[in-house]
Amino acid sequence: MNTRPLTPRRYLRALAAWVLLLLAVSAAAVVLGAENIWAWDAWDKTRDVLTLRLYSVLTAAVVGAALALAGLAFQALLRNPLAEPYVLGVSGGAGLGVILSSLYLTAVAAPVFGFVGALVTVGVVYAVAQRRGRLEPYTLLLTGVIINAFYGAAIMLVTALASPERRGEIAYWMMGTISTFDPKWSLVAVVGGLALAAAVLFAFLAKGFNLVAVGEDTAGALGVPVNRLRLVTFVTASLVTGASVALAGPIGFVGLICPHLLRMALGPDHRRLVPAVACFGASLLVAADLATRLLEGIGGVAPPVGVLTAMAGGPFFIYLLRTRWRRKTEIR
Amino acid sequence: MATENRNPIAGDAYLAAEGLAFAYTPGEPVLRNLTVAVARGRLACVLGPNGCGKTTLLRMLVGLLVPSRGRVRLAGTPLEAYPPGSIARRVAYVPQETLAAVGFTALETVLMGRSPHTGALGFESSGDWHAAREALRRTDTERFAQRSLEDLSGGERQRVIIARALAQEPDVILLDEPTSFLDIRHQHGIYGLLRRLVTEEGKTVVAVSHDLSLAAAYADRLVLIDEGRVVAAGTPDEVIRPEVLSPVYETAVEVRTDEVTGRPYVLPRPPA
Amino acid sequence: MQALAARPRIGDMKHSTLYTVLAAAMAAALAVGCQESAPPGGEDDFKPKGLRILSLTPNVTEILFSLGLGNSIVGRSTHCDFPKEARTIPAVGDTLHLNLERIVSLEPTVAFIITKRADVVRTIEGLGIRTVALESDTMAELMETIDVIGRETGRTAPAKTLREDIQHELREVRRLVEGRPRPKVLFAFPMTVGSPNMMVAGRGTFVDELLNVAGGENAFPETADWPTITPQRAIQLAPEVVIINAVGKDAAPDRLKAISQAWLNWKSIPAVANSRVYILQDEFLTIPGPTVGLAAERLARIIHRGGPRGIRPLRERNRP
Repeated sequence: MNTRPLTPRRYLRALAAWVLLLLAVSAAAVVLGAENIWAWDAWDKTRDVLTLRLYSVLTAAVVGAALALAGLAFQALLRNPLAEPYVLGVSGGAGLGVILSSLYLTAVAAPVFGFVGALVTVGVVYAVAQRRGRLEPYTLLLTGVIINAFYGAAIMLVTALASPERRGEIAYWMMGTISTFDPKWSLVAVVGGLALAAAVLFAFLAKGFNLVAVGEDTAGALGVPVNRLRLVTFVTASLVTGASVALAGPIGFVGLICPHLLRMALGPDHRRLVPAVACFGASLLVAADLATRLLEGIGGVAPPVGVLTAMAGGPFFIYLLRTRWRRKTEIR
Repeated sequence: MATENRNPIAGDAYLAAEGLAFAYTPGEPVLRNLTVAVARGRLACVLGPNGCGKTTLLRMLVGLLVPSRGRVRLAGTPLEAYPPGSIARRVAYVPQETLAAVGFTALETVLMGRSPHTGALGFESSGDWHAAREALRRTDTERFAQRSLEDLSGGERQRVIIARALAQEPDVILLDEPTSFLDIRHQHGIYGLLRRLVTEEGKTVVAVSHDLSLAAAYADRLVLIDEGRVVAAGTPDEVIRPEVLSPVYETAVEVRTDEVTGRPYVLPRPPA
Repeated sequence: MQALAARPRIGDMKHSTLYTVLAAAMAAALAVGCQESAPPGGEDDFKPKGLRILSLTPNVTEILFSLGLGNSIVGRSTHCDFPKEARTIPAVGDTLHLNLERIVSLEPTVAFIITKRADVVRTIEGLGIRTVALESDTMAELMETIDVIGRETGRTAPAKTLREDIQHELREVRRLVEGRPRPKVLFAFPMTVGSPNMMVAGRGTFVDELLNVAGGENAFPETADWPTITPQRAIQLAPEVVIINAVGKDAAPDRLKAISQAWLNWKSIPAVANSRVYILQDEFLTIPGPTVGLAAERLARIIHRGGPRGIRPLRERNRP
């Protein structure tokens, strides 16, 4: 709910607060873990562990921001609160690219093929869903769901035909992974760049998102180029999702829950939501990754981060939904 | 006012449609060679049976649709010649859309009317807020400012939407059946407001209406459309006549004059 | 009015032909299928009532061949591919998916399997086949297994010889590394795509015993079967020698390259700093069978490479 004008100064203040939150969570994630930093004796061991953790934090921040932004954009594009980054089949395309590459071509450059898969999917979905160059939300959603189903079947087929060791690998990849033994800083930089570009772009489109949410004709009459907005949003959100999946596997729930949580807190105004969602999504995934590291200290094994986001996020979200709903009915 | 028989574009035409043709699906034209012009500072109502093309005409006047033939002119310049987004600074459109339950408050909704004037990132100045509050005041909806739009009644919501149009500070306001779901009091409230906007502020208002008597009571000019063409245009006395209305609506009507206002009103009669 | 001539229509003809073709195809499929379950070979290869062994674990197969029982094996698991001769023996699946029909058709008199799954053992026993469940998690259990196989097959003398040979080899390796410093060794399987973690040999495993014989100390300090550790743990353990065994599909060249690149990131690990990370492709290292002596020797040569006295090979084998 906006009770005061959205001036540049207020905007920057809010943005600074969100970025500060992200930095604080990231710092904690680097310092804490199964064995806290100050427990290390030798400097070079500490340096190596710090490098590992820094890579995890960076990956989590970049992927979290990307997925949360894509989720927000898809919810605006499809006018559907259940939309999340994987609903249009991009993660299936990226997944198939990564899996096929690591099975039959090269495991090292698998993320590249994942991104190629995502690109192909964007093209296919657009070609199938567009009518005379226009994208309607309903057709887009249906097309995406069908293509997603196709990719799901394709991945199952590939998995069935693969050897048992590879099957385990595929299954593990599908759970999403943030940490790695072989840091690929360039990949993270690419995804980070895409996420940043998407954030900036969506910040400029935020006004249009608001208007399109109210009505397509309303938005058009107020000067929003609706079809172009839809096309640009679709392509950008899909690319940033594809890059995330190519880098870290399909990590679920972040793209769905972050926009909703922030909508509950900040209201439906996308101008406020875009920077908040990016920073909050990043912080959330960084915190989840930290939690997996802490759990490793307790149980000895770190669960995949995607498992954590789904298992912890679900009940928490239900709790929020119910308390807010109850509050709303009380006011009435 | 112009009909399709005369050169339609008179000198003082502010908003003009020239020979518009359009079909949503090929082979089923909705507008056929439609020509109409509205002078500045007038309240014009567009009438016609269901499916005659009224909404399509309105969407074309605001630039949402591009005609397959013909063109629309605003202040003499074709719409295509306007830079993107500038039309919205001069023309406001109140569509007949179902409400999407998004959760914006009335004030936020009215502020959306300022978006043609705010910058790329959508920052608002105090001037924008002043204009929004003014618009709320004029439509008597100030007390709803922080209430969510879904919590308001139909009439209150409609007034807020009109306030949004006012906040655009437009020269022209186009409304598509602004009172279709409202009770009598609100119907007259809305049209009274439109009337005041024309007489006190010199705005040009075009409203699509399905209520012949209501339109006749308030409008300066009426335009009757049938099957995508203008079949009659002029003052209420010229258009509200049984011989004009019956063929278009395919039913018998009787026209009487209201002694208080001097305006005609329509009574439907059962078919002979 | 002319009555319509009762000509056979094109549609009718197509349908009946289709059905005929389908029926013929089904009959053919049935015929082929029935043929598959007949025992391989003709009457000439039929063994007289005697020893017909079903070997369901690779190291059991190796032990059987070492005892000279290669010709008595009538069925093997799909993973039993050493020695080369084993590959001609019919395969009946693996512990997860056994082709029970085929097992029955081979008419084995005894089945050897190394598994902890009692249900699999019961399944085979349920077919009326005497099943001997063995264990080989430790050296002691391996010796016991060789003895049991010897007893069951009436080859107690060759079994005793095999045992003694193996123990002699192990003693030799121990002698060669005596007195040398014992570095901390981490024995791992390579990381898989999508996971930063790796499986390593814990204390008490077979490989751990081999490491001890070979003069190394397992860098992983706890007793565990094959634990999975994170990169952080690997850094913390600070092994001086890292041995990574990449077998099968893991041995693709780009993966091997990826593995070495990955380890090179972490210079605080002594093994990395001193270039003592070895990537091997020796499947036999982890199979507790007749080749344990060779495995111990191989490990010893790697662990103590660069020492003042080189270690000469014990004897030649035709193992790669």
